Amino acid sequence: MARLVAEDIAVRFGTFEALRGVDLTAESGSFVTLLGPSGCGKTTLLNVIAGFLQPSRGRLAVDGKDITALPPEARDSAMCFQSYALFPHLSVADNIAFGPRQKRVARDETVRRVDGLVRQLGLVDHAGKLPNALSGGQQQRVALARALAVAPGLVLFDEPLSNLDAKLRDQVRNEIRALQRDVGFTAIYVTHDQAEALALSDMVCLMNKGVIEQKGAPRDIYFRPRTRFVADFIGAANLHRGKLCGGAMSTPLGVLHCCHEDGEDVEICWRPEAARLGGDLSGTVKAVAFQGAHVDVFVSAGPETVRLQVPGELNVSIGDTLQFSVPPEGVIALEASANA
Amino acid sequence: MRKSPFNTILSGLLIAVMTVWLAVPFGMALLWSLVDPSQAWSYPDILPPKLSFERWSLMWDSTSLPIAMFNSYSLAPMAGVGAVLLAMPTAYAFGRLEFKGKAVWQTLVLVPLIMPGFVTAIFFASLLFSMGFFARYPAILVGHVVMLLPYAVRILSVSFSLVRQDVVNAARDLGASPISVFRVAYLPVLKPGIFAAFLIVFILSIEEFALAFVVGSPDFTTIPTILYSYLGYNFIRPNAAVVALILVVPNVILMLILERLLQSANPAGISGKG
Repeated sequence: MARLVAEDIAVRFGTFEALRGVDLTAESGSFVTLLGPSGCGKTTLLNVIAGFLQPSRGRLAVDGKDITALPPEARDSAMCFQSYALFPHLSVADNIAFGPRQKRVARDETVRRVDGLVRQLGLVDHAGKLPNALSGGQQQRVALARALAVAPGLVLFDEPLSNLDAKLRDQVRNEIRALQRDVGFTAIYVTHDQAEALALSDMVCLMNKGVIEQKGAPRDIYFRPRTRFVADFIGAANLHRGKLCGGAMSTPLGVLHCCHEDGEDVEICWRPEAARLGGDLSGTVKAVAFQGAHVDVFVSAGPETVRLQVPGELNVSIGDTLQFSVPPEGVIALEASANA
Repeated sequence: MRKSPFNTILSGLLIAVMTVWLAVPFGMALLWSLVDPSQAWSYPDILPPKLSFERWSLMWDSTSLPIAMFNSYSLAPMAGVGAVLLAMPTAYAFGRLEFKGKAVWQTLVLVPLIMPGFVTAIFFASLLFSMGFFARYPAILVGHVVMLLPYAVRILSVSFSLVRQDVVNAARDLGASPISVFRVAYLPVLKPGIFAAFLIVFILSIEEFALAFVVGSPDFTTIPTILYSYLGYNFIRPNAAVVALILVVPNVILMLILERLLQSANPAGISGKG
């Protein structure tokens, strides 16, 4: 277990600033995801934490000890690579044993760890095989076992599931989370998949253009997005911009109420599932997508189209006029983004 | 799967070309080397009238062939090892680093290849003499290493560029020392390139004439300098055939050994793909 503190980390490639002063604290034993679109700097930050990249500014500490200048081989972290990066000429067991051997762990302890991990990750039948003989999911498990074999305080995941198909992704995702709880390591997990981030994390750091735009518990991020970028990136959001007067904003759909102080130019958003049927907002149904448990209904009035999620039993068709409402507690006022 | 007729024709053609190209000269050299000195092989005989190893023992006894063989067979592997070792840092830079003027440097490294061997040899020899360096054996060794270095650099650059950075990172991340990183991430990928570079340098060194002749003259012999002495004015084909075969045998043996070694290297182990 390890507590990671990153202060004011900046990385510059030539004239391009990949990271512009990132602060991050990962509590001991917590699961932290770095989420963001490609190019937001999340992998760069992970590489800085692993030691593959030297930050041009800032400081990294694990359990209070400064590790900024330490090379990767001297750090108490282990990385799970997107490409797995297994040693192709070594068997699965030798791959897993590589780390402990390098760190001069006693022979019987190495054997014990390898056996334990092989069993834990369901690789018993594959221990003697070369990595190329395994499927993607199995290779991902070997990569995970190899990282865990050095008993690191900090495990870094670089989009570990992006090369797996959807079903396997769910399965391995759950395995990773269960292992993390079991073993108790601190996890830093990079992903561009918001569903993955929400499902796994204790804390989500949503990154954009080299800074952390918002960090917090998954619920916080989802229900209380601070900026337009966050609202838009996580889940679906309906956005309106205009004058807020007496807690009300008039939109082409009708008047929306919001518990927020008034302003001349305020941006508000609400989630599709916050909408209730019946009420004083109305619009014409433009498109309907039946999803089983719910129906996605796209309703437009004037220039604006919003997305509503209503129960699956509701039978609406294109062209209908739909009456609905959004409770004030479901409407969130956004701040102007620092780097829109 | 059944082969298509087109494939069969193509492979037949390939075998035919290879036969004409390799087997015929080799067979002719073999036949000529076995011609008995007492009975000449001349038109219209299809085969030599009498076969014997007379020429072989003659060459062995009457020329400096044993010494030349020792020189050539020991120079070639040392030049191979030397060139591979010296090429490593440059190849690493070309294969793994980005720096200004890389393309220019890559071309410059290959420039020695367009220089005729004799030009290099003559000025290399005069350089050695003006430095007061007269030991022929080390001089030729250095000369071969330097002349053949571009081949090794070229081959190893490609090998180095095939090494995957994520595997290198993974090894470091797991606490590997620089030596362990080299062993686990670099060596498996470099191995075929090292073999290939060694083989090329070995073969080119064993048949190198110009430098060995100019620097070694008048009395330092290698197999090619003996071979060349049987060409030209005092042209004796059967003797030349004997020397030519002696020249080619170690190449063939080495090729077969390396072929074996490379086959045992798992191709997926190099590319990382199944």
